Amino acid sequence: MDILGGLANGFAVAFQPLNLLWCFVGVLLGTLVGIMPGLGPPATIAMLLPLTFKMSPAGAIIMLAGIYYGAKYGGSTTSILLNMPGESASVVTCLDGYQMARKGRAGPALGISAIASFVAGTFGVLGLMLVAPPLAKLALSFSSPEYFGLMALGLAMVVLLAGRSMVKALLAALVGLWIASIGTDLFSATSRFTFGQVELLSGIDFVVVAIGVFALGEVLGNLETREGVQMLPMPRGLLNLLPTLQDLKDCRFAFANGSVIGFLVGVLPGAGSTIASFLSYGVEKAVSRRREQFGTGVIEGVAAPEGANNSETGGALVPLLTLGIPGSGTTAILLAALVLWGFRPGPLFIPDNPGLFWGLVASMYIGNVMLLVLNLPLVPLFAQVLRTPSYILYPLILGVSMIGVYSTSSSLFDLWLLAGFGLLGYVMRKLDYPAAPLILALALGNDFERALRQSLMMSEGSLSILVTRPISAAMLSLAVLVLLIPAFGRFNAWRLRALEQE
Amino acid sequence: MRIPVCLVAAASLLGATTAIAQGFKPTRTVEAIVHTGPGGGSDVFARAIAVMLEKEKLLPVRLQVVNKPGGNGNVAVAYVAEKKGDPNTIAFFTGNWLANYLVAAEAKFTIRDLTPVARLVLEPAVIAVKADAPYKTLKDFIGAATKNPGKLKQSGGSITSRDNVVRQLLQQATGARWAYISYPGGGQRVAALLGGHVDIMVIEPEEAGEHIRAGNMRVLAQVTEKRLARFSDVPTLKEAGFDVPVVPQVRGVVAPPGIPKENVEYWQALFHRLTQTPSWKKYVEDNQFEDGYLGSAELVTFMDGFNDRMRGILKEAGVKTVR
Repeated sequence: MDILGGLANGFAVAFQPLNLLWCFVGVLLGTLVGIMPGLGPPATIAMLLPLTFKMSPAGAIIMLAGIYYGAKYGGSTTSILLNMPGESASVVTCLDGYQMARKGRAGPALGISAIASFVAGTFGVLGLMLVAPPLAKLALSFSSPEYFGLMALGLAMVVLLAGRSMVKALLAALVGLWIASIGTDLFSATSRFTFGQVELLSGIDFVVVAIGVFALGEVLGNLETREGVQMLPMPRGLLNLLPTLQDLKDCRFAFANGSVIGFLVGVLPGAGSTIASFLSYGVEKAVSRRREQFGTGVIEGVAAPEGANNSETGGALVPLLTLGIPGSGTTAILLAALVLWGFRPGPLFIPDNPGLFWGLVASMYIGNVMLLVLNLPLVPLFAQVLRTPSYILYPLILGVSMIGVYSTSSSLFDLWLLAGFGLLGYVMRKLDYPAAPLILALALGNDFERALRQSLMMSEGSLSILVTRPISAAMLSLAVLVLLIPAFGRFNAWRLRALEQE
Repeated sequence: MRIPVCLVAAASLLGATTAIAQGFKPTRTVEAIVHTGPGGGSDVFARAIAVMLEKEKLLPVRLQVVNKPGGNGNVAVAYVAEKKGDPNTIAFFTGNWLANYLVAAEAKFTIRDLTPVARLVLEPAVIAVKADAPYKTLKDFIGAATKNPGKLKQSGGSITSRDNVVRQLLQQATGARWAYISYPGGGQRVAALLGGHVDIMVIEPEEAGEHIRAGNMRVLAQVTEKRLARFSDVPTLKEAGFDVPVVPQVRGVVAPPGIPKENVEYWQALFHRLTQTPSWKKYVEDNQFEDGYLGSAELVTFMDGFNDRMRGILKEAGVKTVR
């Protein structure tokens, strides 16, 4: 079936009133789930699964997919307002998003994140529609050495996330890598750094560390300075709550960057939206003319990662629908749903079920429009949160943090961990250690180690496998280049000083 | 999640006709613990069973799947063990539960501390290569692996998974050696094979079926006692010339420690009845599982044998066992 015919057919399916309703239910639920830290799309989809047996398969997949991409819209809300990342993909949004909120620009930050999500989300669907089968084949050429290159490139972004001191940033990243190594080793099934605690066998949940270090660290730090007695500045007037034309202009490149990087990373079954968001933030910062202002509330710093993690969903559906290969927890549960409804996901899924595939694609265009219309009016509403006086806001953040962590694991042990990481975040802030490198290293640490060990197993222990394969060699070279960026800057500064002295 | 009392009462009235054992009946939502996250093998299995129990009206209350992932199953085991005496909790175990505590010293509880209820299915497997691979039979592959020790590669799950057990058994029987690369997700294992990064894998028949239909994969042998209906032209391991024990993936039900005998009987009878229903038969057939029902007493014998074999295999693989 040609693309236009397929799409026309798809819109005919997606515009059926009942399917429109399911699409709306999906994206609404997704937005809510995204806003709440903790409960994520996989758990939500799993809970709704029994209900879907009474629905038509098209309606059901449209709704479940809506939860998946809808959650990415909501994910930035708590990152921007409360410095509390609800999921790993929106950690990097905290860096500039929360600083914008502190400067009274919470509205534009939330607004640009909805707009970037819409642009990149739509780009992801376009990609899924136009290039899915050939791209899926290409993704298969990625194996462990290539993933190692990708993860190394991601980790190299540490130098872009560093504050004043590179040494401190690298130390924080090392601690992150160490935390990632806690738990049961996949290869030998032995335990590492568990100190005899059965709770640590499963490792430490990323969300616990991120919420602890970012949100609790922030609350503790603010309590001390007592600055929080007054409310955060919040301009009046609806217009001031939305991004200006200048903001949109500043984000032109961020939209494109987030869309492309997010989609490409999404197509790889072993990568995920976290690295997509970090990579696009890194690229945005590396090419920016105001590089030194990143981390102080630059609007591109919100648009790029938020775009990337939305475009990633379109990409992640590529291997799922064209090969039956899930790359993440959410796509795995979508695969399970397809099987339970009696489909056979695999290479012949799209040719066998063109109506379902095109219906889904069409519904995703509609869903993204719905999400934009749904999310933009929410901006002024959410921005009001910052009007709350600190003696109410801070306890509220504490409560939401604890509920978020407890809802993912129902484990008291994790609450103690949360307290511990909150203290760590506070101490790091006092000693001027940046938190982002720790979180980045923690997010990528496991995949980084696994890819390295898998590569070495493939090559019988020879490191040359990492540089003799072209894609992996290219990415490792890029990583080295990124690592050298600060050196260039320093060299330049030294040269200028030398020039002045002459 | 709480269900309003009136609903529970109504449900138990309905359920009264299907009550099996005298005396015990779950009174509120039953928690079914699994060790994978949403979308993982056990999770999908448990959710399918929840749907069937509802459809066949076998359980007077709702079955709610609770995910306790991590530690290769040890976290889920510990959780069930702490529910000691709880009549409204059950858990779905797999072969991993029987293997992992052998290597995890931290595990304060093991599956052997829990109450065995029933074995439900055996999942057979097939051995597959990429469609354009030079190996037409398993003998071809073993021959190539013997000639180039350690050069060929297999993708699979953790070292205690069935994939690796099949490899170890074949290696022991033939003296051939090939590498084993662990991938955390099933999708990544298939991607590694289809991308030509590994040479062989052990895969569920249902999953392989679609890749064979698309002409991407070829099956060399099936890890079964007798041929599966949908793979009638593929030899079993024994027919392919390798007389090694057949290791199916096993799935079944356990309950917390210290529950009364009548509770065990209730669950055992419930699941026995489930395996007689048309929904179950269709499910087993669709997924190409083998019906593997065993009651509580026989399950204990099965677990003993499984543990012994696993201990030997881990030792052979150079993994230190702690129990």
